[in-house]
Amino acid sequence: MGESNFGTWIFAFLIVAVIFGWGGIGGLGGGNAAAVGYATMADVNAAINNQTIQNGLNQIALSSANNNYETAQLITNQNNTNLINAIQGFNNLGQQLMNQTNVLGSKLDQIGFQMENCCCSIKTLIKDNQIADLTNQLSQANNVAVNSAQSQYLLSQMGKWVANAPATAAAYTAAK
Amino acid sequence: MNPIMQMLSGNNNGATNIMFKAFGAMMRGESPTDFLKNLAKTEPRLQGLNLDNLEGTAKDLCNQRNIDMNNLKTQIEEFANSNTNL
Repeated sequence: MGESNFGTWIFAFLIVAVIFGWGGIGGLGGGNAAAVGYATMADVNAAINNQTIQNGLNQIALSSANNNYETAQLITNQNNTNLINAIQGFNNLGQQLMNQTNVLGSKLDQIGFQMENCCCSIKTLIKDNQIADLTNQLSQANNVAVNSAQSQYLLSQMGKWVANAPATAAAYTAAK
Repeated sequence: MNPIMQMLSGNNNGATNIMFKAFGAMMRGESPTDFLKNLAKTEPRLQGLNLDNLEGTAKDLCNQRNIDMNNLKTQIEEFANSNTNL
């Protein structure tokens, strides 16, 4: 706006006030309306409209302030809602984590039980195999012993026969 | 009462009309220097003043007449910022 803004205009008003004076300041002298001409209707309307504009601006500022307050309230309410939702979300998440932890614990218990069961089965199987092996070895040993005894008996019988062979059928029969 | 309001309410000679004219010119976006120079054509008391340096001239006038310029300036600003006096 350059020179026409109020910052510059205020010095024009100061000059007019000092030169032409008014009753309140005292001793500044009177004006001369006839010399300067009267204000036109446009001048008066513009001066009064200035006040109307200021009133409008104040109303706009007030409205803006109210809107800002309402907006701030809405934001605060929304923030509170968001906060509550977040807290509820965390609570739900915590509950879910706890449930998952319980499920995992249960699974671990099951796995532990299964591992123990499996281990027991393996041990039993090993022992069964050992028993079968020992039984087999015992049976073989028995067989060896029986065979040995039988062989000894037969050899002893044969030796007796060889040393004292019967000369006749009657002697053979008698020897039996 | 605010001195500017006294001017606008017509408690003095001539100043009321001049102030209305000044406000009208300001609201139309006119230059304050041009306004005063135009006014000086018919107002002898403005003649001879340096209207190209309004701030300096205002200070000189206030000093010559022993007027507290800051106080006067404040009153004018208060009037401009007021929305209840008219």
